[in-house]
Amino acid sequence: MTGRAAAWRRGTGLLLRNPVMVKELRGRMRGARAFSVLTIYLTLLGVFAVLVYIAVTESSTSVSGQADVGEIGRTLFGGVVAVEMLLIAFLAPAFTSGAISGEREHQTFELLRATLLPAYALVLGKLTSAMLYVLLLLLAAIPLQSIAFFFGGVSETELLLALVVLSVSALFFCSVGVYFSARSWRTLSASLLALGVTLFFMFGLPLLVGMIWLLADFSLDSVGGSAFEVAMLYGTGAVLSLNPPATALLTQYLLVNRHTAGLFSYTLVNGDSVTLIAPWIPFTVFYLALAGIFLFLAVRRVHVVME
Amino acid sequence: MSAAGNEYVIETRGLVKRYGKLVAVDDLWLQVPRGAIYGFVGPNGAGKTTTMRILATLIPPTAGEAFIDGYSVTGYPREVRRRIGYMPDFFGVYDDMKVWEYLDFFAACYEIPARERPALIDDLLALVDLTHRRDDMVEKLSRGMKQRLSLARTLAHDPDVLILDEPASGLDPRARIEVRELLVEMARMGKTIFFSSHILADVAEICTHLGIIEAGNLVAQGTVEEIRRQLLPVREITIALLDRVEDARRILREMTGVAQVRDLPDEGGRKRLRVDFTGDDAALSALLQALAQRGLPVVTFSEEMRDLESVFMRATRGIVS
Repeated sequence: MTGRAAAWRRGTGLLLRNPVMVKELRGRMRGARAFSVLTIYLTLLGVFAVLVYIAVTESSTSVSGQADVGEIGRTLFGGVVAVEMLLIAFLAPAFTSGAISGEREHQTFELLRATLLPAYALVLGKLTSAMLYVLLLLLAAIPLQSIAFFFGGVSETELLLALVVLSVSALFFCSVGVYFSARSWRTLSASLLALGVTLFFMFGLPLLVGMIWLLADFSLDSVGGSAFEVAMLYGTGAVLSLNPPATALLTQYLLVNRHTAGLFSYTLVNGDSVTLIAPWIPFTVFYLALAGIFLFLAVRRVHVVME
Repeated sequence: MSAAGNEYVIETRGLVKRYGKLVAVDDLWLQVPRGAIYGFVGPNGAGKTTTMRILATLIPPTAGEAFIDGYSVTGYPREVRRRIGYMPDFFGVYDDMKVWEYLDFFAACYEIPARERPALIDDLLALVDLTHRRDDMVEKLSRGMKQRLSLARTLAHDPDVLILDEPASGLDPRARIEVRELLVEMARMGKTIFFSSHILADVAEICTHLGIIEAGNLVAQGTVEEIRRQLLPVREITIALLDRVEDARRILREMTGVAQVRDLPDEGGRKRLRVDFTGDDAALSALLQALAQRGLPVVTFSEEMRDLESVFMRATRGIVS
């Protein structure tokens, strides 16, 4: 076997049977902690779903006295996804922000450095174990999301795309956690930094963009011009695709009102039409790329220390 | 690169490690023969841990070179890591692991195939006498057991060389003896053991070779006997006589190799003399014969065996870098 083939076999072996991942999963799933987190998470989601149901049935009763069940289903589904997004934004970076710094704090990093474990295997092992647990949380919530199917108004595509957006967000948040954990000597500072970045992408970015729009006082009517309108459409779309909640909301809106999850045409003020893309696609590409960059930087950081 | 016939399995050539203005290791020339139990002793802050961390590929030297089995620690770190089992002077705790999982994890980190690991773990646990604690959590082990588990971890990939930083530090006497016996057992298995310690009794008990480091400098190196002779050139001979002590004093002063003759207090009615002697065993034998031939009533003739502490105190001056 050539050296390259042996290295490839070793690399794939480390990815599929990563000792760090196995160790982390064993530790994470042992005892009551994992199941407590899962129980609290599902309880919160369940309580929220009940509250949403009560609120929507009260408000969506039509003139005939019948509730709009499709509206109930959609709101219930959207509400559960929104809460999942919020919980994951806090949980995912918390799962990984102690990944490397925790090894330093427990004085085990030195032991790992003296072994044959490469830096990428350490980082990917930590990330994979955290991601698998996040995926468990997401999968565990599917029955709650599926309650919406009883009411109708929600398609399987919506469920699938919600899972994609949530999973990609989780991967990004986990990667941010791993990166700051590799940079920081203390888990506390890594947690704070990771949470700061997460909050910025979740809430800071929309606030910032909103403020800029308000301050600039953009108005399509006042400026005019189809080129400007197209630029504004693409610009707005791009900005919306940078924010997980906005992406989820807009994707659902497009599925419900335009029945599309891919390309769609939009008619401008002057009657021309332009082709736009559903935000979950650029969102996925952008966040996967960003997660890749954070992971690359984390591996490089750990590699420098390890070598 | 590796030289299979290397006499020295660990070798440093002019090793230097500086932290800013602080020189932790200064021009260190270390030579550890294959199969040796090499005690690396020195006062706190002498540079023992720094040297070991360089050998374990954890920190690069500022200057000089270090080799394990002929592989440069900076040029071929993976080859070096394959050949060494390193135990730092602290026990890294994974508080959520069982004893067998701890060994399984580190064996996996050393790329031991999964199918070989269960048998390996059983063997390692049997070696360090922890088979009965196999399914206990690591955090529940006593300090001595943790230390033995650490030793088992260093053997997971069957390395040729064990680099152990203060393996008996902080242990109670029983645990210390157990660790000491383990080291001897590992040496019997063909491992070269390079360990640091400030417990000279441990070093004296099991070491074949000794290196004394102070302020980053190696002040003495060799077999324990070589160092004893090198640092304590004068042998102390105590002679007890029934009588004729003046004659004995005169004869002794005429003999070659006798540096000084001193009176010791009488003991049990016997006159005693202390002779500082620089000769070898043959000369010492001749000294005894000379006394006997002259008809002196010698009752006892013995050499004072000075312990390693005397050697250590003689070699070091309490300088800390």
